[in-house]
Amino acid sequence: MSNDLLLVALAAWLVAAILAPSGRAAILARALLGLGGVSALLLIATTLPQGLAAIHLPLGIGPAGAVFRLAPEALWLLGFGLFGAVLAAWLGPPERRQSTWIFGAAASLIGVLGVFGLQDAISFLVAWEIMSLGGAVMLLGDNLAQDIGRPVLFMLGLLEAGAVALILAFILLAAHGNSLSFADFASAAASLPRAEQLFVGLLLLIGFGAKLGLLPFYEWFPGAYGAGSGATGAFLSGVVLNAAFFALSRGLIDWLPVDRTLSLSIAGIFVVAIGVVSAILTALYAFQQEAWRELLSLSSAENGAIAVCLVGAALMFRQDGLMDLAGLAWIVALLHLAGHALAKGAMFLSADGVYRATGEYKLVQRGILTRSPWIFGLGALFAAMSLAAMPPQAGFVSEWYLFQTFFQGFHLTSLASRLAAALAGAGLALTVAIAFATFLKVFGIGLLGRPEQNGKPVSGATALAVGGLGLLVLALAVGMPVWLNALAPAVADNFATAAVDKMHVGPLLVPATGAPIRLNGTFAFISPSLLAIVMPLLAVIPMTMLLLSRRFAVRRAAVWYGGRDQDPRKATTTALTFSNALRTFYSFIYRPTVQTEHELADQSNGQPYFIRRLVFTHDVAPVFGPYLFAPLEKLVGAIATRLRIIQSGHLNFYLSLIGALLVIILFIALL
Amino acid sequence: MNAVAAKDLSVAEPLTIEPERLPSAIGELIRDGGRMQMAYAWYAAPGRIELRYLASRGPREEYFLWRCTPRGAVPSVASICPLLGWYEREITDLFGVEFIGHPESRPLVLHQGVHPELPPFDPNYPINSELPFPPADSGLPQVAGADVQRLPFGPVRADVVESAELIFLYVGEHILHLHPQLFFKHRGMEKRFEGRSLASAVVLAERVSGVGSFAHALAFCQAVEQAAGCVVPQRALMLRSLLAELERLYNHLHYLGHLCGTTTLKVGEAEGKLLEERAKQLNGRLTGSRFLRSLLMPGGLRRDLEPKPWLGVDLEALRREIAAYVAMLENTNSHLDRLITTGVLPHQLAFDQGATGPIQRASGFDRDLRRDHAYAAYAELPLTVPVKTTGDAHARAQVRIAEIDASIALIQRILPLLKDGPVRVDCAPPANSEGLGWAESPRGSLFYAVHLGPDGSLARVKVKSPSFSNWRVFPFTVHDSNMMDYAINEASFGLTVAGCDR
Amino acid sequence: MPLWTFFGLQKGKATTPWPREKEATGQQGVLGMPRFEPERCGASCNDCAAVCPTAAITVEQDQQGKNRLAVDYGRCIVCQLCVEACAHEAAVASFDWAFGTRERSDLTLSPAVPGASRKAPERATRDGFRRSLHIRHVDAGSCNGCESELQALNNPFYNLHRLGIFFTPSPRFADLLLVTGPVTYAMHEPLRRAYDAMPEPRWVMAVGTCAVSGGIAAGGYACGNGLEGVLPVDLYLPGCPPNPAAIIEALLMFLGRAPQKIKGGHFVE
Repeated sequence: MSNDLLLVALAAWLVAAILAPSGRAAILARALLGLGGVSALLLIATTLPQGLAAIHLPLGIGPAGAVFRLAPEALWLLGFGLFGAVLAAWLGPPERRQSTWIFGAAASLIGVLGVFGLQDAISFLVAWEIMSLGGAVMLLGDNLAQDIGRPVLFMLGLLEAGAVALILAFILLAAHGNSLSFADFASAAASLPRAEQLFVGLLLLIGFGAKLGLLPFYEWFPGAYGAGSGATGAFLSGVVLNAAFFALSRGLIDWLPVDRTLSLSIAGIFVVAIGVVSAILTALYAFQQEAWRELLSLSSAENGAIAVCLVGAALMFRQDGLMDLAGLAWIVALLHLAGHALAKGAMFLSADGVYRATGEYKLVQRGILTRSPWIFGLGALFAAMSLAAMPPQAGFVSEWYLFQTFFQGFHLTSLASRLAAALAGAGLALTVAIAFATFLKVFGIGLLGRPEQNGKPVSGATALAVGGLGLLVLALAVGMPVWLNALAPAVADNFATAAVDKMHVGPLLVPATGAPIRLNGTFAFISPSLLAIVMPLLAVIPMTMLLLSRRFAVRRAAVWYGGRDQDPRKATTTALTFSNALRTFYSFIYRPTVQTEHELADQSNGQPYFIRRLVFTHDVAPVFGPYLFAPLEKLVGAIATRLRIIQSGHLNFYLSLIGALLVIILFIALL
Repeated sequence: MNAVAAKDLSVAEPLTIEPERLPSAIGELIRDGGRMQMAYAWYAAPGRIELRYLASRGPREEYFLWRCTPRGAVPSVASICPLLGWYEREITDLFGVEFIGHPESRPLVLHQGVHPELPPFDPNYPINSELPFPPADSGLPQVAGADVQRLPFGPVRADVVESAELIFLYVGEHILHLHPQLFFKHRGMEKRFEGRSLASAVVLAERVSGVGSFAHALAFCQAVEQAAGCVVPQRALMLRSLLAELERLYNHLHYLGHLCGTTTLKVGEAEGKLLEERAKQLNGRLTGSRFLRSLLMPGGLRRDLEPKPWLGVDLEALRREIAAYVAMLENTNSHLDRLITTGVLPHQLAFDQGATGPIQRASGFDRDLRRDHAYAAYAELPLTVPVKTTGDAHARAQVRIAEIDASIALIQRILPLLKDGPVRVDCAPPANSEGLGWAESPRGSLFYAVHLGPDGSLARVKVKSPSFSNWRVFPFTVHDSNMMDYAINEASFGLTVAGCDR
Repeated sequence: MPLWTFFGLQKGKATTPWPREKEATGQQGVLGMPRFEPERCGASCNDCAAVCPTAAITVEQDQQGKNRLAVDYGRCIVCQLCVEACAHEAAVASFDWAFGTRERSDLTLSPAVPGASRKAPERATRDGFRRSLHIRHVDAGSCNGCESELQALNNPFYNLHRLGIFFTPSPRFADLLLVTGPVTYAMHEPLRRAYDAMPEPRWVMAVGTCAVSGGIAAGGYACGNGLEGVLPVDLYLPGCPPNPAAIIEALLMFLGRAPQKIKGGHFVE
């Protein structure tokens, strides 16, 4: 039964990929995408706690054929990502010509399925590349930007650099283990010397981090997402991000062995450090963005980095034998990405809704919320609350667990680990605070404000999609004690612990504490399930006060502006002014630039006093762009210029090159 | 003491010039080191408007006037001499003369959207008809950049201050551009002079700018005395100088108190305002008016004053209090911190835009009407003119502090020099005469151009107040500064809106 | 770094003990509105009326040929020209500057009913505000003299706060709208809006001759005749400018804490 569902999903996506380039039948192709997604969701719903058993595929590049197996955590991550993907496919990208986009979406989904399920190196890499290229094709298909080539090329360049790292890692592991299958990689890694183990870990981090947005790879995010549509963003930040995380967590946790001779986990501390610094940087830069897509993209990188942090924490705890806490950290990462996939999908679809209503993706106060169906506002609010970590949403649950995990770093034995945990906690606190402000900005400036004249509302379909995702976020949080049970076998598998049982007591959620603190509901707890009941009841008090106050007559007078009319629209908070204080405070990171050009009146005759127009531009400088990527670009450009000699255009030269090449091959063959 | 005494009070006969030659003539004047002072229009004959331009060829050279009769539109000289830009816009608003090629041809005195049936100075303008002021856009520059915020502050502002609308284009703390929308307080005072008797006109002149009453009345009286060619008695001249310095004293003390208020030095503000009150009470005891009003008339003073027995003693006590206060101010780092490098007025900007008074002296110009074109008894009195070059708020405060000392020293010098004698002489200017009077008011150079008509009554009085010049300069020191410094900068200029708006 | 607090404490109390001590107003020597004795007028003499810049004085001949002198103190700008012009000592200079009134008619000295008692002014219905009044000032085109005196109210000498009277930055917190200036046409609308923005109970005070009747700038192409016809006025205070003691007297009178000193054009101490 489950295999049939899987087959339906795969087939639907393949057919969609084939139909799409023909240009007609776009609606059918999108419907097939959605159908495939629904089928996959059904599959997940039916197989979740145990996972999908291994299927042997006859075709495969390796000698033994390919094995396809979906672990429970893979199902969890895939499922939550698919909600957003299905709804994005249903709504489609805003532009007319969708054939390229549908093809890219189908390719992405197929690649994602492969990344989650394929169990040997070569087919995994093929699926990884299909996923990456699918994403690139989706961006190209959106056709929303003038200069779309450069950011997509930058993205592909960095992803390919990551892919090269992955290939190297797989080669190292496969060579030592004499097998391309992932099942043998654990033992292969165990036989490597410690330095090489760490090197492999670093390569995996680079390879998957390029997709997740760890430093310095997050720099492709704003450019690439900013050239695409919200639907593409829902894909890239949902299923694709989850797939990359799944692969990274499997690599670091399952493959890298625990070195009992050390008291601390070097890999763990390093991963935590990278995760925290990436999270801080991406959070800071997300806060300064002034358009939906770029801001949400950097926020996705931030959340990916937080999940990576948790993986590092799991490694640190596991080294000390604190399996409960390790399991807790790992589960929190899964919870975090689940909530993130739903909420980010909702936000990206809202962005598309705003684009369809107003024609641009900029964050400007236009009062869209007041004009649109109420379900849209509800969904967007829940999603923004979740990403800002406000109770009772899913984001709050995972952030609370995040801090509970790091606060329990005092259980670790080595000073370095404890220090790392403490500093990570502090850094993540900063990140969370900035994320809160960021989503306040998105919701407040992007959706609220005084309604414009002649403004269009968000379409009903978008409203339903966003509302649905928002309600799912709430459902995730409220039903958390139930959903946690779905991960029990997974965590038992990876960490040999029943951490899930220790994470909830009735409707309360508690941190699975390591010994010796006793577990009960009084240590620390939250309960979105109960909050979902209590919070609406609390609203009764202000509503009563409002109704009672209707008894007093009120004279309304115009707003006092100093005696003159004022158009409030000209004094509203803009995206820049909201973020301006932080921009000044963190100017040592941002290195902001502000420039005002004065255009003089025609008859000024050179006098600088008669200003006709002010042109105001502002920018923040990226951290890695000028110091890492620009020099690399220059280097590559320099090498390319040198190598241009080969493109001489003379036939004789080409023939002589071919001759030289043949001679070299002859020599190699003879040796 | 001052060799230029003899020819100071006279002005040469106006030179006639064709309107087309104006730009080149003015350009030549400026290149040769001269300076334009003001421009105005008047009805030289029924239906014939004449334009007048006041200039001087050098800092201590005599003033001279150009006159031209426009035939249709006149070429604008604002791009050659930026300070004349406002005068041209004022002439366009009030007389209807058009200036071609003006870089900022927008209404100045009458707001955008105000359309009187006739130019207000037209003799056929229906007096006592209401002129509606509809809400309209001000002359802000266009802005490219969606994040620029706009804060219109006023015209009713937050404290007991004069009405003016200040429009800020800013982003967060950073002010990109300031546009002051003034002339909400425009009462049309210049036109109210027409047809009045001289005694009544002095009373009117006193009320053009309330805290500069004496300087305005003095400039007006000197203009009439020049037209009549009468010689004011020595005692009256001495008393006039004494009273002018008393006015400077209370104005500068108010300035120091207000400046401390903006740097939130509360005790400093209280002390400054208290010293100002003492100075005003001194004025009241001496003259019966805290603002030194009802004293002047063309030909001298309306009545004699007796300052000798007690003024020197009281003034010395006040001087000691002021010295202690100023010494403390100059040692208060938190106060100085907020003044130093705030609102810098560069030397070239001050020249181009016609800055005048302590503001001009704080930006490196050694100019003072009391010394360069001595009037009243200043030719015989020792005068120190403080000059600073930094041009920031601190420099402007220091110039005024030095002027306080100089004023008290001048008064103490005048008191023993006062000899008994008459304080007035008859002064009746002939018909169709004109005169130019000036005075160094506490805020800068003040000019009154007086024209008498065929029947001997006033036909046209042009008032060039120092605040009119300095308000033009002020916004340029605010562009690209920050919000926190704005109030301090405005206080450090110490301008009045009534003097500008008239 | 000087200790300003110590400096301030050393200075001691600079506030005048007035109104507790009647003579300590701080206005020694300051001239006020002229006093008129119409009985002393010369026959068919109208020197004072001819010289008055604001036409505050009118002289008519009655049937017996005697001069009937009428003075509107609401138009007096305290220029003393009439005092200097009068050869019969019918107009003499005085130190009467506390001219705050609730009724406009109390400012007119009229020959019709000399010295007759006006109707008794209504009891002040401002009990709640007796010791706490908030004022919003609007400058509707004054010459800055009135503002200078109003700004002096908060200096250590007068110290308006000790009387419970404050200036507020917004009309929303204000009880009294204090207007100076002859109401230029440009300030007409902002003044109107300031009044509309005040919550009730609200009152209006005209400070300075310009606000009471237009002053010397009245008419012309740019301004009107003060607050008449623009806003309903509850308190009039002519003067050019009224000194801070006069302003305080008028406010205290308004709050029922001091008696009104001018009735029917006659100043009673």
